[in-house]
Amino acid sequence: MPKTLKLNKGAEQCLLELLRFLLESGKVKGVFTLSKVGESGGVAYSLITDPAALEAALPLFPLMPVDAAKMLSRLTLVEPAAEPIAAVVRPCELRALTELIKRSQGSLDNLLLISSTCGGVYPLETGVNGNIAEKLPGYWESVKKGEIAADIRPACAACEHFVPYNADITLALIGNKDVDKQCLIQLNTEKAEQFADGLTGELSQVEAKSEIIDSLKAKRQARKQELLGEFGVEDFDVQKVFEKCIVCRNCNKVCPVCYCKVCFFDSGGDEHDQRYYETEMERKGYAPVLPAPTFYQLVRLFHVSMSCIGCGLCGDVCPVNIPLWAVALKTGGAVQNAFDYLPGRDLDEGLPVTTFKPEEFAATVD
Amino acid sequence: MAPDDKGALFPAEGGVRERVIAFLQKAISQGCFDAVLIPAKAPGTDSFGYSLIGDEQLLKNAYPLPPVMPVQGAKAMSSLTRTGNGKKKIAALIRPCEARAAIELAKLGQVDLDNIFLITIDCPGALPLAEWAKDAKKAEDAFAEILKEGPNESLRPICQICDKFSTTGAEDLHIGVQGKEAKGILLIPNSPKGEAILECLGLAAGEDISGWRERVDKLTGARLEKKKQAQQELEAKSKGLDKLLDTFSQCINCHNCMRVCPICYCQQCFFESDNMQFSFADYLKRAEVAGGLRLPPDTLLFHIGRMLHMSLSCVSCGACEDACPTAIPVAQVFSLVGNRNQETFDYVPGRSRDEPPPLRVYQEDEFEEVEQSHAAVPAKQEAHNA
Repeated sequence: MPKTLKLNKGAEQCLLELLRFLLESGKVKGVFTLSKVGESGGVAYSLITDPAALEAALPLFPLMPVDAAKMLSRLTLVEPAAEPIAAVVRPCELRALTELIKRSQGSLDNLLLISSTCGGVYPLETGVNGNIAEKLPGYWESVKKGEIAADIRPACAACEHFVPYNADITLALIGNKDVDKQCLIQLNTEKAEQFADGLTGELSQVEAKSEIIDSLKAKRQARKQELLGEFGVEDFDVQKVFEKCIVCRNCNKVCPVCYCKVCFFDSGGDEHDQRYYETEMERKGYAPVLPAPTFYQLVRLFHVSMSCIGCGLCGDVCPVNIPLWAVALKTGGAVQNAFDYLPGRDLDEGLPVTTFKPEEFAATVD
Repeated sequence: MAPDDKGALFPAEGGVRERVIAFLQKAISQGCFDAVLIPAKAPGTDSFGYSLIGDEQLLKNAYPLPPVMPVQGAKAMSSLTRTGNGKKKIAALIRPCEARAAIELAKLGQVDLDNIFLITIDCPGALPLAEWAKDAKKAEDAFAEILKEGPNESLRPICQICDKFSTTGAEDLHIGVQGKEAKGILLIPNSPKGEAILECLGLAAGEDISGWRERVDKLTGARLEKKKQAQQELEAKSKGLDKLLDTFSQCINCHNCMRVCPICYCQQCFFESDNMQFSFADYLKRAEVAGGLRLPPDTLLFHIGRMLHMSLSCVSCGACEDACPTAIPVAQVFSLVGNRNQETFDYVPGRSRDEPPPLRVYQEDEFEEVEQSHAAVPAKQEAHNA
């Protein structure tokens, strides 16, 4: 059982105290966390180096403006972090980061990864409209009870992996009935113990409420089935699901695991010359002129399904509301099951396409 | 504009859509052109996409004025014609703002208009993409109402202040549907190619179109008023660095505005290039200067950079705003800045095919007063320091 520190503070204050301690003691040079921006209630990730700037930090604010994994990859892609950084990220973002590291898109060196059991986030739209503040009391009630908070993104309501896999430090939020006055900081690794050394708090033997975690997992699994049915991806008629797609490719742009520097669809690889369209038209009477939604979406699924961690950002940014998170969950789930692979579970678990054996899938080959 | 302000009446019945389709069918059957690039609805779906249609019967699926603008028509024209090599005579029927963008792209070498009959149509505007995405049928009904009764406030904000909804002055043929011409649609030729279409149809440009033009001018005037007021309000809200930062504070740097913009055609955007990839040490240094660094960084720099690159050619089509996931009034801001820049150079994007983009014909002696006002700054500072 990991060492657990108990602080008599609400979760957000407690996390801020931990971050302030790390920064002020010089144990880390910077803190990566969500922070308030502007006056309209928006949040964005920030790399904070001045403890005074932590005033604006909102590490547990239930909104995901961008995927943290993308930002941490960006910070460490050219070279690993030369100084220690504490990063507060959601479990799905941590899983995405693990997948990116497997694909050499960054480095974990000098990163202290802090996560929490996650109650989910609200749709980007709710954040933009400034409507999250009024929902917060209800949100934290649901977290305490281990229920699915009302109005969170369907991708979150359907997420079973809300307990972080590779965090150095985990804040136990789900099922903590005193989440507003007492917090539990689990130190999962030796690294975490070293960093937390000197933080005032009592060592606790309080066990995380595993029965509440299990029951929330069951609720979310049930919700997932409901939602997949409701959004019509169970039978997965690709023409129908992607009908309204305008091929803006914003789903690819915000996706943490769509990391290619030059996407095939930006390479000119899918372009045709005018003669091609004219020949198609002669054959069928008409020829759709680019873009081709189904082709794009299927190629994207083909590329990202194995590593899709279901963060839901694709659906959040779609200008025509295609339930892309559901499509990703359905196809990602099927592909990952076939290979008995769970993206982001373990850094040492090789990507199936890189560990392929000739004798695998003999039935498919035949 | 036709010199004698004349057009031809193409006799047809039904709504605007049916009349325009009848014209296109006739033109194809007479061999005036071989095919039409036009938005069409795939049977059994709610979605509109650009198609090259050569079959008269299939033209029944065409929507010359779809309720939304899912893809900017100039982008479709670029896909079709950029590589050249076409053998067919193609008519492209697109909205005026799409045609203006296509003309800009032709100047930038991204569209080839040589084999194209560029046809525009009086545009009632478009509905926000998000409304259509929520309920396509409802949006279609709302748009049918607009086609019948005229523009209303359910249109996209940028369309509500559009003063260039009719002839661009540089298309080959314009279709006038303003008002309720009982007997057909007006075909107004603007070039020898446009005149050739009329001739091919056996029509003479003998119809007096002053009634149509009066209605267009009247709405243009009303729109200009409304635009002036809207732009003043927007300026009060977004002028100056602090207000601009706040206007774009929710930007997630997804670059979707850039990706759907017809004018932003670079294959590799500067802001997605290695120029924007820094080392950890650089990010940390920047964070230390201010106490913290927002990630992704440089969100406002991206918008200002984009403005600098495309605002002279911005046609205020609104595609950027439709595509923004955080509801930033990006089209309204870009249109405001674009209009100011264009006025400075006395340039209207898409007004003429021969008018070169201002940056291409820059004169050394231009804007001396701007240079001088900037040169004066260090002098003032010196005085202050002394």
